Amino acid sequence: MNVVQPSMDDTQVMAFVSSGYVIAAGVVPDELNRQCEALPRGGMGDFVQTAEFRRGVLLNPAVAGVVRSLLGENFMVPTMAHHHLYEGPHAGQTSHFDGLTESGYGVTHLQCYYYPQAVEIDDGPTMVLPGSQYRLVDREAIAHYRDILGQLSLTVPAGTVVLTRYGIWHKAGPKFNPRRRGMIKFSYYRTQSPSRDWPGASAEIPSYRQPQRHPYVTEVEAYRDQRRCTRTWQWLCGLDETATVDHGERECSAIPLNDLELV
Amino acid sequence: MIPAVQHWLADSRAKLRQGDLSESDLQQLETLLAEPVAEPRQMILYLYSKSTNMCSAIASWALFDPSQREAQADQLVASDTFSMAPTLPSQDVPYASLMDAVSAGWRVVQFPREELHPFSDTDNSYLGFGFILEKWTTGGGIR
Repeated sequence: MNVVQPSMDDTQVMAFVSSGYVIAAGVVPDELNRQCEALPRGGMGDFVQTAEFRRGVLLNPAVAGVVRSLLGENFMVPTMAHHHLYEGPHAGQTSHFDGLTESGYGVTHLQCYYYPQAVEIDDGPTMVLPGSQYRLVDREAIAHYRDILGQLSLTVPAGTVVLTRYGIWHKAGPKFNPRRRGMIKFSYYRTQSPSRDWPGASAEIPSYRQPQRHPYVTEVEAYRDQRRCTRTWQWLCGLDETATVDHGERECSAIPLNDLELV
Repeated sequence: MIPAVQHWLADSRAKLRQGDLSESDLQQLETLLAEPVAEPRQMILYLYSKSTNMCSAIASWALFDPSQREAQADQLVASDTFSMAPTLPSQDVPYASLMDAVSAGWRVVQFPREELHPFSDTDNSYLGFGFILEKWTTGGGIR
């Protein structure tokens, strides 16, 4: 059995429930960053399953501790990843999420962005919209959205991994220079029923406290956000057994933690 | 009106008062009127308001400006999603409300219709209430 310790507390999990992301800044070793930075664009093939990549990125304690907190024991570890590489200047992507909406209250899928190099504002940083992970939309029908109050450009140091709830709206931001800007994307999945087994200050499960109101929401949307996040918090604590929705991508792109032979 | 013709009119009124207006002035006007005039283009501005009330705060905005595309044509990359040059993201709302945009000369061409607005009492979906505005101009820019 491979053991990973959860690293988040109640407050941090509530913050994730609201925002939909956690940033592990500058946690991957420089040597591995340099190796990954030089990779060609596209699928990363067997490199994802090397001991070095697993140790330095996928099971890096600062990354895997978040995954363990949000997805429970024996989570599915990625066996596939994709290197999104930009070189020339460009206007940026349109806001979107990948694939189909996973619309349930649960957290079953963490989609991660790993940046082997530092990303500044003119390097075309990934942009995310905090709190958008629960919005049910046709992604092609939001392609005309541009600036949104509260949007976040992920300007990060080299070796940063951003873990997101699948479904968060994101896009490659506008890029002004010819520097390589790579982002390696991969996903973890849940295998166990949720329970509040991260380090907690008390045995009693606290009520959900909304840490922020996103600046773009309307009055009634703020009420819905509060309600939705409360249910997600309760789901993560094992108090809400409402069925959640995923689309089975885990079957082809990840392996249970306990099936790994770690060296 | 063409700015050069406006200037001609101002000058000619002064000359007329002084009795100095001449045939050559009329020839100059003819020349000005024969010059090609830049065609105004339609700029489109999406503003997402926090309610159907035109005085509500703005949550999101997007400008589609054909003059920007033409001015930046030499910087474009073939694969650009928008065939546009990059511009920095902004958190500075261009207008505090729809009314401010209308006051600045934007004309509303589509209003949100409440019966078409996606509604669920439990889940959020698209951003606020989308108004589409236009401005016809030979220039460009949001203001």
